[in-house]
Amino acid sequence: MQPADRLQNIHAMLAAGHRSVHLERSSLLLLGGVGGFLSVVTEWVITDTRFPELGDRALALLVWLVFWLGGASLLDYRLTRRAREIRGETLPFAQAQVTRAWWMLLSMGCLGSFAMFFYGGGSMIYALWIVLLGLGIYLFGLFSRPLIEWIGLATILLGVAGLAAGLSYGATRWLAASAFAIGLPLAAGLNARNLGVSLPGRAAVVLLWLMAVVLPALSMAGVHTEPPEAAAVGLGSSVADKGDQVLRLEPGTEVPLRLDLDSPILSTRSDVELPMTLNMPMEVALRDGEPDGRYRIGNGPWREIREGVLQLRIDRLSPRLEKGVPVVRTHARLDSLDLDGDLR
Amino acid sequence: MTLPTLDPLLHQPARTQLVAYLSGRGEATFSELKRVLGVTDGNLGAHLAKLVEAGYVAAGQAAGGRRSQTAYALTAAGRAALSEYVAQLSALMVLSGEREGDVSIVDGLSNP
Repeated sequence: MQPADRLQNIHAMLAAGHRSVHLERSSLLLLGGVGGFLSVVTEWVITDTRFPELGDRALALLVWLVFWLGGASLLDYRLTRRAREIRGETLPFAQAQVTRAWWMLLSMGCLGSFAMFFYGGGSMIYALWIVLLGLGIYLFGLFSRPLIEWIGLATILLGVAGLAAGLSYGATRWLAASAFAIGLPLAAGLNARNLGVSLPGRAAVVLLWLMAVVLPALSMAGVHTEPPEAAAVGLGSSVADKGDQVLRLEPGTEVPLRLDLDSPILSTRSDVELPMTLNMPMEVALRDGEPDGRYRIGNGPWREIREGVLQLRIDRLSPRLEKGVPVVRTHARLDSLDLDGDLR
Repeated sequence: MTLPTLDPLLHQPARTQLVAYLSGRGEATFSELKRVLGVTDGNLGAHLAKLVEAGYVAAGQAAGGRRSQTAYALTAAGRAALSEYVAQLSALMVLSGEREGDVSIVDGLSNP
């Protein structure tokens, strides 16, 4: 054997030793299952009807996340050690350190979810979770197979691209669910088959992985709310106490905003209204005489108010003295993400 | 021109690989080394015995785990011997005009 070949061998074994961290299949399946479950179910469990107070809702979410993710992490730790013992291997030092970093990332995700109740930014919480998941996988990948490293990078880019593309809250929620529930088990399968060893092969595998994650998420996000079957009636018509109805609001209709300000410093009269006028036609589904959360703008698709497409954002607050009277001026935007198609 | 003298203990493919793997991994059990190197129990046992006897590899109790396992790790002497061996191979490559020696491997070995 030539010296160059010997050096090549040494290099390969040295790299194998450095990359001895093995992300177990059970880890990816367990975390994928729990992460996907939490992405889909959390919104149904932690609701404002079940926890009306903001503080209670934030605390309930924290307990919920810590219970599931903490339990999954402990179980994963035990399963990983057991898998290593069965194979007669010791846990590499790098794996122990990366696992700690992974727990830190999960803790940051939980605390970030909790803090967003008080400091805002909740609309990007699922994108944040995707980026944190990507960082965790990438960290493992640095000391494991390069394919895992690439999938980690692809996951980070997925979260960032979702935000940059202005995906709605609902769409990023499905993207997070897909990254966990489809992406991680798929990564486990690809890793077990030792795919993506060569550079072009790895690029192709990661591209397929991205498609497998993104397409189901976008198709779920594109599933529109079921339209109500009742015919639309105008505002002047009588609203039925029982059954389904659709109320059509024409442009120019007055829709006052009633502000319920919760503050120990300021208080408002309960009848304070901000007069607003509708600029475009809108239909609202009614059930037993009350809006049931479904609406559509123009001839667009029907949506649920909880999809988060409509967002009221107060971005400025400036106290002033106007003619000797103290006034607080605010600037707010009622944003409507993804409504381009609705307005055509 | 003097040709560098290669360490006879390391100048054996299986032992070179074993020492290089331990250099990157830190410590490894017998089962793991057997799987990584693809050798038989007897073969691996003989190579390990030679390396332990030369003081290049030390055997000890594996950290953690419920089951008692023996783990093998490279000693300081073993790490130095591998660095020296890689440097000698690089020098040989330069002398034989193959290409410039691979300094990156020697750099990689300096970090335990």
